[in-house]
Amino acid sequence: MLQAYWYITKMKLLVNLTYRFEVFTSVATNLILMLASVFLWQTAYKGGSGSVEALSLQDLTTYTILSITISTIFVCDVQNTIYSKIREGQIVTDFYRPIPLLACYLAEDIGEMFSSLLNRALPLIVFASLFFGIPWPSSFQNFLLFLPSCVLSYAILWLLSALIGLVAFWVMELGNMGNVKDAIVRVLSGSIVPLWFFPESVQTVSKFLPFQYTYQTPLGIYIGNTNVIDALSSMAVQAVWVGILYLILTAGWARTKKKTLIQGG
Amino acid sequence: MDAVIEVKDLVKEYIIVKKESGLRGSVKSLLFPKKTKFNGVNGISFSIAPGEIVGYIGPNGAGKSTTIKMLTGILHPTAGSIQVCGISPQADRKAVVRKLGVVFGQRTQLYWDLRLGESFELLRRIYQIDQQSYDNNLAILTEVLKLQDFINTPVRQLSLGQRMRGDIAAAMLHSPSILFLDEPTIGLDADAKHAIRNFIKEINRTRSVTVILTTHDLDDVEQLCSRIIVVNNGKIVEDGPIDSIIHKLTPHRMLVVELQEPCDDLTTPHAEIIKQEGLRIWYQFEKERISASELIAALSQKLPIQDISVKEPNVEDAIRVVYKTTATV
Repeated sequence: MLQAYWYITKMKLLVNLTYRFEVFTSVATNLILMLASVFLWQTAYKGGSGSVEALSLQDLTTYTILSITISTIFVCDVQNTIYSKIREGQIVTDFYRPIPLLACYLAEDIGEMFSSLLNRALPLIVFASLFFGIPWPSSFQNFLLFLPSCVLSYAILWLLSALIGLVAFWVMELGNMGNVKDAIVRVLSGSIVPLWFFPESVQTVSKFLPFQYTYQTPLGIYIGNTNVIDALSSMAVQAVWVGILYLILTAGWARTKKKTLIQGG
Repeated sequence: MDAVIEVKDLVKEYIIVKKESGLRGSVKSLLFPKKTKFNGVNGISFSIAPGEIVGYIGPNGAGKSTTIKMLTGILHPTAGSIQVCGISPQADRKAVVRKLGVVFGQRTQLYWDLRLGESFELLRRIYQIDQQSYDNNLAILTEVLKLQDFINTPVRQLSLGQRMRGDIAAAMLHSPSILFLDEPTIGLDADAKHAIRNFIKEINRTRSVTVILTTHDLDDVEQLCSRIIVVNNGKIVEDGPIDSIIHKLTPHRMLVVELQEPCDDLTTPHAEIIKQEGLRIWYQFEKERISASELIAALSQKLPIQDISVKEPNVEDAIRVVYKTTATV
């Protein structure tokens, strides 16, 4: 079984590496986004008001570069995969195989993640380093903590995406729900503006939501804004969220399978 | 021998939300949806013995695909029971689908971006087929379905006929004992159809694979199936050997006679004239009462016959009769 997943991942990786044009446009758009964000921060800091002392400009630049880079690696196509497969009725062909569907979709996303690491994230980091210098982590220890935290982040993001995908089984017109979720994640995860800049009340509410644990947690660790103890405890929170979302997904999936409705005669 | 597929009183209920027209209607149906229940499959029972090739036919929306989806465990029935090889597909879908090969003519299970052979490799891993039987199967399938020309072509570049052959091979790699084919020849040219029909006959003969075929192409049915099950409006309306169904539904045959010159008295006590166009006359007769040769002999005594042909009723006629008579149950 594991062989099958590995094969899916490998094939997805190989196929994706042949798509050159898409890679070019992706790198270009993300680079523009990165430049715009960093320049915006630079201007904001030039104003010199003391209200943004929480982070130095250098830290914030690193934060922004890393944030955009990991967003290209965190591939969560599962919601779109399920949605389009249901619309086209293609999902039936996945159902009559003796292998769990969601695991296959995860294997595909991981394959795409590997390919993105090579052909999207790497060029982005290279360009960013040319413009703003290499975005070093605050220490080697922080870098080591950053990696597992990223894995947990990805797990949270993927589970959220899979949950949205499940909704497609129930509501045929999923429409923009995926986009709404993506927008919420983008803002509340701190991927564009760290939540430390948000009002106290928003930060308090956000502590009880899964979103900030997807981007802000690993990035905070990377730039050294969190000490080791805090890093470990927020990783524990991440793990709890992974557990909660996993349970919701399994329960929802079991119910969905019972009520499956496939479009088309 | 025990049945491989046993279906009892199968019912599948759908809930349809009726939408009213106009803006007001849309708002109304959004707030208070009018739900009506509708039985897509309404009390179907049948059993299929190992090695049969069964045609499962019916007009669009008769409940064919719904039944197939329940047999494969994709849909759950509202009521009734299903046993495939003694297992309920709803209770243990994964165990059942291991024994099944499924081909939906309008869909593909092949991976769009991969080469055909890579899709097969993936299936080998999914079904955990051991290397030797995989190699054997693939060699046989390649030969019969002539896959060698395009096994290294990406699936998206295959022609429909090639893709279909690829899909059938993919469904057979894990040596299933039952093969479901949902319109396997849809949109194919005569050559590809021929190849696929031959293949079905072949695997049925050599491996005694049970085949269930849904199709609108009645040539498929005529050439392959020994038995047909006809459904309409979610119910079985006919089930039996193909010949007896044709015979039962269309007991008439047609004799078309072309005369050398016009005649006055064309009637005969053995047959009925149903159409006349110039020198051509269509006689309809019951094959129970008189044979074609007897009728021809009787006619040629009184008429100057130029040319003659007998038309057999075919499956298509029979099926049309069934659909018509059961249309508003």
